[in-house]
Amino acid sequence: MNTKDFPQLDSIEKIEQGFESFGYICSTQIATAVFLAFHLRKPILVEGPPGVGKTELAKTTSELLSLPLIRLQCYEGLDEAKALYEWKYGKQLLYTQVLKEKLGDLLQGAQGLAESVERLHQFGDIFYSPDFLEPRPLLKAMQQDKGAVLLIDEVDKSDYEFESLLLELLSDYQISIPEIGTVKAKTTPMVFLTSNNTRDLSDALKRRCLHLYIPFPTLELEERIIRSRVPDIDEVLRSQLVQFVHSLRQLDLKKNPAISETIDWARSLLLLHANKLDEDLIRTTLNVLLKFEDDISATEPELRSLISEATAQ
Amino acid sequence: MHSKLLSFIQILRSRDVRISPAETLDAMDIVAVLGFSNRSFLHDGLSMALAKTPQEKATFSQCFEHFFKQELLDFSRDSDAPSERQPPDKDSVAAGEISDDDIASRPESADAVLENAAQQDAQLQALLDGNLMQNLMQNNRNELSLVLNQAGERVGLAQIQMFTQKGQYTRKILDELGEEHIRQAVIELEKNNSPALSQLQRYRDILREQVRDYVEREYLLHAEGKNKQFMDEILSKTRLNNLEHHYLHKVHDLVRKMAKKLAAKHSRKRRVSKRGQLNMSKTIRAGIANDGIMFKTYWKQVRKDKPQILAVCDVSGSVAAYAKFLLLFLYSLQDVLPKVRSFAFSSHLGEVSDYFVDYPVEKAIELINWKYGGATDYGNSLMDFASLALDDINSNTTVIILGDARNNNGDPKLEIMQSIYQRAKQVIWLNPESRKAWGTGDSDMLRYQSACHFTAECNNLRQLERIVDQLLKSTSVA
Repeated sequence: MNTKDFPQLDSIEKIEQGFESFGYICSTQIATAVFLAFHLRKPILVEGPPGVGKTELAKTTSELLSLPLIRLQCYEGLDEAKALYEWKYGKQLLYTQVLKEKLGDLLQGAQGLAESVERLHQFGDIFYSPDFLEPRPLLKAMQQDKGAVLLIDEVDKSDYEFESLLLELLSDYQISIPEIGTVKAKTTPMVFLTSNNTRDLSDALKRRCLHLYIPFPTLELEERIIRSRVPDIDEVLRSQLVQFVHSLRQLDLKKNPAISETIDWARSLLLLHANKLDEDLIRTTLNVLLKFEDDISATEPELRSLISEATAQ
Repeated sequence: MHSKLLSFIQILRSRDVRISPAETLDAMDIVAVLGFSNRSFLHDGLSMALAKTPQEKATFSQCFEHFFKQELLDFSRDSDAPSERQPPDKDSVAAGEISDDDIASRPESADAVLENAAQQDAQLQALLDGNLMQNLMQNNRNELSLVLNQAGERVGLAQIQMFTQKGQYTRKILDELGEEHIRQAVIELEKNNSPALSQLQRYRDILREQVRDYVEREYLLHAEGKNKQFMDEILSKTRLNNLEHHYLHKVHDLVRKMAKKLAAKHSRKRRVSKRGQLNMSKTIRAGIANDGIMFKTYWKQVRKDKPQILAVCDVSGSVAAYAKFLLLFLYSLQDVLPKVRSFAFSSHLGEVSDYFVDYPVEKAIELINWKYGGATDYGNSLMDFASLALDDINSNTTVIILGDARNNNGDPKLEIMQSIYQRAKQVIWLNPESRKAWGTGDSDMLRYQSACHFTAECNNLRQLERIVDQLLKSTSVA
């Protein structure tokens, strides 16, 4: 990826503005990470609680750069056949069947077995050539002419073995295929890895990446996000609901409401034509914010004080 | 500036932030791209390359604050004059303004007295014209801070380790700055009983205070991490029951740190191939490439069952301290050892696993100590254990017994130990007494030893860590 081709990434401020124009409001920290990743050609490992916009960051970057987004969703048991490449077995088989008849013509006049094998050798490994290679996401990202944004989502869900598989890609932007050799990236892709911290990633992987931790946003930032995502909502209600969610996060919950849930909630309140927070309204819509029955019942006794806190502001 | 960055990385390392040389190079690249002009960009950028967990990020921010804090405290007479908060790189005209302001704010204009005195004394004049005095008189904090830093580097302040060295380094830096000239001038003025004396003394004191503050800050930055490492080293070698009470929370942290290290080392799930069960679909798929001939076979894999661990701890007075740490260790390893059941005994035995579910580890241990403490009876306790858990012991079970085997001359009930020995995969006995004391007096250790796969002396954290490490190794490898 040539630095000059992407004036959108010239400075940290430009990135912030660019993201904003696509509706992604980010902190300076996030913009700095993208800026550095681009200029140092390093992958970014994004960690943070679910729903703070880790995946969204990669998507928006691809929109900002107008590059294709290539996504690899990780899960337990993901292996190289699904992540890197696979041979097109069917095609190989079909071709051998078709070519069987041609074989007679080819070997005509050959004296003995040795000479026949000799002749066959001249054709090289046609069946293990790039034509028969089925590229999977990682290889596909290497093959893009103009570069790409590669998103390796929830890398913590994959196995340890898979992590080691990624190391070559992350440090040298190349992939080794035993039958062909090393495939280097045509243009260095922007790589995002996301993790929900369900387990610690290996040091080797972390070492190769810039590490970005996205926490829950500050009050002010979250309000800006809601303003950008749900523009029609009343201003007073917006600041109230953001304040409410923030105090909700102070409670000891199984799963804290994330930005995506705040957005959903704002949308539902808009749909219900609410113009201020009251207890009934919250009680009926709380399930948009909280996804566990335990959390909901733990919150209900606190509701009144939470509301007064939110509306006092 | 690279050396500055490197010493910053040194400090981070001394505070348990793991930074590899590759990451150091990244940090240098980042500095090259971002520059030093914007402090918050630098903070964000460096934290991405150097600190890779939330804890590390917190440590990083803290160190960054200290390390890149260049500005000295305001040392002008009363720091309520807002005009003195001038940006650093104003030219001489601005500096002139500041001193004008200063003079205006002080009625008697003490500096003028000093200058008057200087007119009669060439030596004093030379001193006042020197950089150091100029900086002091003009409240030029940035300049002074730079000079301080350079002097600190020259005397090797980064090597400071003990708080007792603070005075020594302060003196060295003062010498390096040329403070003795001021001192001499003060003596001169004293002799002459000059009116400028108090003013010069004041500047001398300001300088001394600044240097002291600077050394103090650097000490906190450089030495604290090193001292903590030193402390950890000592604590891990001390006999656990000798630990002073106020070190206990430190030891808890240490145990947690050790457990985390072990967990990271052993948490790899191992897959073992199940011989005899072919993974048909995978084998056929692999065979297609060879015209359906299955050259390579794939076997079905299963995850190995996680081992079960039964920890049996003597919680009588003599051994309670050790039991506490063993349990702390085992329960800090929840990720790697999910199936830990624990039992506590002294005169009788009971299962205490539930305490660890209901309470945080430290609290649970306290409760257990309180409930089961008393005089030891191994025979009785083993019988209780057999009735509670003997049926659950199978070839996947490791039994860890922690105790001094001092049975108060009671019946050892060796036959129960033997049946445990026969059923379990492993029986480990940890004894806090040193090996020489085993079998002396009322100790039944030598007898019990015959029914154990492995016995070990275990009285400090280092030994405990080694044993748990071994335990994890033997339980995870098939």
